[in-house]
Amino acid sequence: MRRDPTEHDRAALGSLDTAYVDGVAELSPDERRAIEARLAADPAVRAEHAAVRRLLARMRAVPPEGSEPDWSALERSIREAVGDELPRPWWRRWTWMAPLATAVAAAVVLLVVWGRPAPSPVRRGLPVLERPAPAAELTDDDSIALWLDGAEVDVDPIAAEALVEPADSDDDVTDVGLLPATDLAWVDNLDDEALDRAEHWLAGKKKG
Amino acid sequence: MVSLAAGLPLLERPTRVTPADPDLELAERFRAGDRAAFDLIVRRHQKGMWRLVRRYVKRDADAADVTQLAFVRAFRGLGAFRGTATVRSWLYRIAINCALSWLRDHRREQPTELAEDALLADNPAPAQISASDDRAWLRKAIAQLPPKQKLVLELRVFDDLSFKEVAELAECSENTAKVNFHYAVKRLRDILGADHAP
Repeated sequence: MRRDPTEHDRAALGSLDTAYVDGVAELSPDERRAIEARLAADPAVRAEHAAVRRLLARMRAVPPEGSEPDWSALERSIREAVGDELPRPWWRRWTWMAPLATAVAAAVVLLVVWGRPAPSPVRRGLPVLERPAPAAELTDDDSIALWLDGAEVDVDPIAAEALVEPADSDDDVTDVGLLPATDLAWVDNLDDEALDRAEHWLAGKKKG
Repeated sequence: MVSLAAGLPLLERPTRVTPADPDLELAERFRAGDRAAFDLIVRRHQKGMWRLVRRYVKRDADAADVTQLAFVRAFRGLGAFRGTATVRSWLYRIAINCALSWLRDHRREQPTELAEDALLADNPAPAQISASDDRAWLRKAIAQLPPKQKLVLELRVFDDLSFKEVAELAECSENTAKVNFHYAVKRLRDILGADHAP
C-alpha cells in the first residue's frame, strides 16, 4: 500500500531537489539517481528545477553590496595590525600563570592552616603513663599496666598520678609530683644498692 | 538510457566539494612557524571576508575595519585551529562574530539603508532601471526571510560555500542546511510573486 507523503517527506524531497539544482556533486549517488528518475518521469519536476535554477542565477548576478576597498591596502593594513611576530601558544604565555600561581599559593596556605592537627595538651612526664579516661573514676582497686625493663608491672593509678607532675601546673613550680618527670638525671645518680632495692620492690609488686 | 543529469547546465558548474581543505596546508605551515603562510591566507580570503562582513555592516570603511579585526583574531587563534572545520568556514565564523559584536557596539550609528529603487529617480536609463529594480526586489525579498534561512541562502549563493561549510557556520547539520536552503528559495519565490518571477 502506498502512503501519502507527509510534510517531512515533502521537505526532504524538496531540499534534495533544490540541492540537486544548486550542486549535484554534493548529493550521494543514491540521492542523485532518485532525483534523476523523477526528472525523467515528471515534466512538472523539470519545470520546478528550471525555475529554481533561474532564480539562483538571478541572485548570483546581484553585485556585492558597497564599493569594494583597495585590496592591497586592506592586506597591508591587516599585516601591520597583526605584526611580524608569531603569536605564542597559550601555554607559553606568562599572563595566565600569575592568577594560577596565586590560586595555588592560596590553596597551600589554606591546607597548611586547616590541615594541621589540633594541638594536643602538653603532657609532661613519663610517656608510658597514660592518664585514665576521665569518665572512669579511679578507685583503690584499679591498676594500670606499666612497662619497665621489658616487664609489665601493674601500678596503682592513684599512686601513678602522684608520680607525675600535673599537666596544668606549668606555672606552679611548687606543685610538682614525687618524681620530677622533666629531669630524670637523678636516676643516673642512684647507686647499686638503691637500684637493687628498686628491683626488689618491683619484683615484690609483680608477685603481689 | 541517457542520464538527464548529464544535460543539465548546472552540472558544468565547478563543484564546491573539495576532498581536502585547500587552506589546511597553510594553517599547518603557520603553526610550524611560517609567518608568511598567514599572508597567503589573508590574500585568499580577504575579499570573501569583506563581502560577508559588508552584508552586516553598512559602511564600506567599517566593513574594512571589521575585516581587519577578524583577521587579527584569526592570527591569534590559528595556532589552536585543529581542522574540525575548513579554514574558510572558521575564518567566516570569526568574521560573523566580529560583525555582530561591532553591530552591538555601534547600534545607533548604523545608517538607514537607502532603498535602491528610490535611487532610480536620479537615473532614468531604462537598462539600469531594470537591473537596479531587480536587485532591489531581490534584496528586499531576502531581507524578509527568517534569519536562519537568510543566513543559509546568503552563505550558499553569495559566498559560494559548500553545504558542509554552510552547516558549520549555521551550526546545524548538513541536511538541515539543505532544508533551510530549500525553504529559503521557496519563500523567496512566494515573496517575489508572479510579477517579479524570472
